[in-house]
Amino acid sequence: MPAPLRLALAAFGLAISTLTPADTAPNTSQLALEPGWLTLGHYRPNRFGNGYTSQADDQNFFLNPLGELSPKAELDATLAAIQLPGSGDGHARCRFPARDRWLRARLDLPEAPISCPAFEQWQRTLNTDTVTMVFAASYLNSPSSMFGHTFLRLDPPSDDQSTDLLLANTISYAADAAAHDSELLFAYKGIFGGYPGITTVQPYYDKLRLYTDIENRDLWEYTLNLTPDEVDQLLAHAWEIRDRNFDYYFFDENCAYRLLALIDVARPGTNLLGEVSTHAIPSDTVRWIVDKDLVSEIHYRPSAATTVSYGLDQLPAAQRQLAAGLAQGNTAVSAPEVSQLDAPSRARLLDATYDYVRYQSEAEGWPRAQAAPLSHNLLRARSEIDDATEPSTPPPPAIRDDQGHDTFRVSLGKGRLGDRSFSQLTLRPAYHDLLDPPDGYRRGAQLQFLRLDARYYTGPDELQLERLIGVEIRSLSPRDDFFSPLSWQVGFGGRRTDVGSDRVLTPYLEGGAGGSWALSPASQTFALVTADLEIDDDIHRGYDFAPGVDVGLLYQSPRASLLTGVRSKAWIVSNQHRQDQLYLNGNVHLGRRASVFAEFARERHFNRYQNLWQLGLHGYF
Amino acid sequence: MKKLIVGAMLLGASTLTFAQPGCGVGAMIWKGQSGAAPHILAATTNGTFGNQTFGMTTGTLGCNTNESVQSMAMYMNSNADKIARDMSRGSGENLDTLAVLLGVEQVDRDAFRSLLKDNFAAIFPSSETTSGEAVDAIVALLEQHETLSKYVAA
Repeated sequence: MPAPLRLALAAFGLAISTLTPADTAPNTSQLALEPGWLTLGHYRPNRFGNGYTSQADDQNFFLNPLGELSPKAELDATLAAIQLPGSGDGHARCRFPARDRWLRARLDLPEAPISCPAFEQWQRTLNTDTVTMVFAASYLNSPSSMFGHTFLRLDPPSDDQSTDLLLANTISYAADAAAHDSELLFAYKGIFGGYPGITTVQPYYDKLRLYTDIENRDLWEYTLNLTPDEVDQLLAHAWEIRDRNFDYYFFDENCAYRLLALIDVARPGTNLLGEVSTHAIPSDTVRWIVDKDLVSEIHYRPSAATTVSYGLDQLPAAQRQLAAGLAQGNTAVSAPEVSQLDAPSRARLLDATYDYVRYQSEAEGWPRAQAAPLSHNLLRARSEIDDATEPSTPPPPAIRDDQGHDTFRVSLGKGRLGDRSFSQLTLRPAYHDLLDPPDGYRRGAQLQFLRLDARYYTGPDELQLERLIGVEIRSLSPRDDFFSPLSWQVGFGGRRTDVGSDRVLTPYLEGGAGGSWALSPASQTFALVTADLEIDDDIHRGYDFAPGVDVGLLYQSPRASLLTGVRSKAWIVSNQHRQDQLYLNGNVHLGRRASVFAEFARERHFNRYQNLWQLGLHGYF
Repeated sequence: MKKLIVGAMLLGASTLTFAQPGCGVGAMIWKGQSGAAPHILAATTNGTFGNQTFGMTTGTLGCNTNESVQSMAMYMNSNADKIARDMSRGSGENLDTLAVLLGVEQVDRDAFRSLLKDNFAAIFPSSETTSGEAVDAIVALLEQHETLSKYVAA
């Protein structure tokens, strides 16, 4: 046996003999309830009764079979195990290096050296100097992306010349859904549990391909100000949970949640998880790390779509036409209109056109037979231009996603429907509608969850549930010469509907599709074909269906938002009546915390006219 | 979750952990995959420039024992169209990554960038050029270059 190893073993023996379990037993009840230990074990207070339960759904995460329900039992088992002699990958100190560090620091145990080849190899491979939280913003027309997504990037030391952020590794936590599960099953299991959540390590360039090139989401990179020791502890804990199962839930225990736990472990006392109430929306979690002064630097990385739009916008009008002609194959790359341009202009034109063709290939599936030869011609022509300036990149938006309004909205209003007055209370846990302050959100995008409208009528006094939205998504996305997205909407829930004699609460399902066209950077006009289904036994045949149209105008600015238009529905199954509505909604924004809202609607239904007025205040929390 | 498997493999490539450099590394990694993995590749290669398959049978790549070249080839294979774009412009982070994987030092980076830009047509003679063929062409160019040849020495 080599001398240093013998020495190490002797030190071990000493450590054990001076710190017998009898010495520590009185202290561990207290210690086991310290935030540091509870965070390491992912313990949360039980909702009912005393005690704690770990969120880990994996027996291998515990050294004591009772560890899941007992922080103390797990702490005692860990304390005993890390003081056992021996070493190697199977040793408790190698399996739980973060617990080992924490306990040693907390109990002043001697730093006994140990060899953990697998963990050390992992640390070497990750070669981490700083940690960056990357936030993938939502993208219009992609409702599943609207909550955003977060993951951690492990940045190598920046002083050596082999540094390359594209090759940096990332840690993310995701639902391990079977590929063949349907969307519906995915949604169900995501909400009620059933998918294992797993921690994965991937190179950053792989993430960029997914988010920047395929999903077209802008990325915000928040470099955390963790110290080297904190970074080590974060990685050590990431190692502990690496192959361990934590069931995945969309709303709370989601991708963002587990990353917050990692940061809490890295910097004890941060308590980011304490901010999580019913749901952890990634954009909110980014707000929290900013508020808790965890961020040293923020960097913006535009998506392919953002880059393409920007590149095309930078071209003079005539060259935009030329770019469209090149992309459609109507103009050859060698055409005189192109070659007579001066070198810098030609370079900008070819760059923008190539980026557009590449984007269309990804997003719209342009056939390879068309795109590949064109791409090749564009790139070859570009490579022959020498004195071009570096292509300019899109500037970061003035307002970041985490600087937008908070997502929980409470509203109070006074109004009048026909000849009855009412007061209205609206609660909306998430997320954003077209009339909310637009900064930090995608223009024309709306996503509302579990919104509840309650009204108290006077004369006679009556409390009514006016509306309960399950989910409501709208995506108004302007079309132009280069892009032709579909605008669409879908929603379900319960709402008051006029059945002729009374207004009854009716389950509904609605949808629509059409187009939108920009009038100015802040305004767009849209036209949608809609379909509505209502089901209720108060309706003559039990259900009713209405095709319809919705044509309107949307204006969004940091000061005020306006949505106005006309809606017409023809109920064709039960009541055989047209329902026509003129609507006008305006909000005046008082910063990002509050808005004054006003609403007017005039409706013709069952050959009667009825007016709705409402005025009130939105608060964002 | 085959995606993860692909990710793990690329991670292996990017961190230079090839245990057995030599013929067939690329084939080992990409060949014989079915199901989700080719779909993911298809999603990223559909219609874009650069035919992203290794030229295992014709190229010299398969038998190049230089680990850096192997890593570059791996990176090229999954990012060919972005590298081609950067190459045509003579700048860009994907081109820089290529330089990092080859171990090109800062002093030689400008020469590296302009060599690839000036020889774009030789590296990608047609839109059907595979990433393996492009890697072979890059290696051949570097080998002939006075100061850059040291980075591809086997």
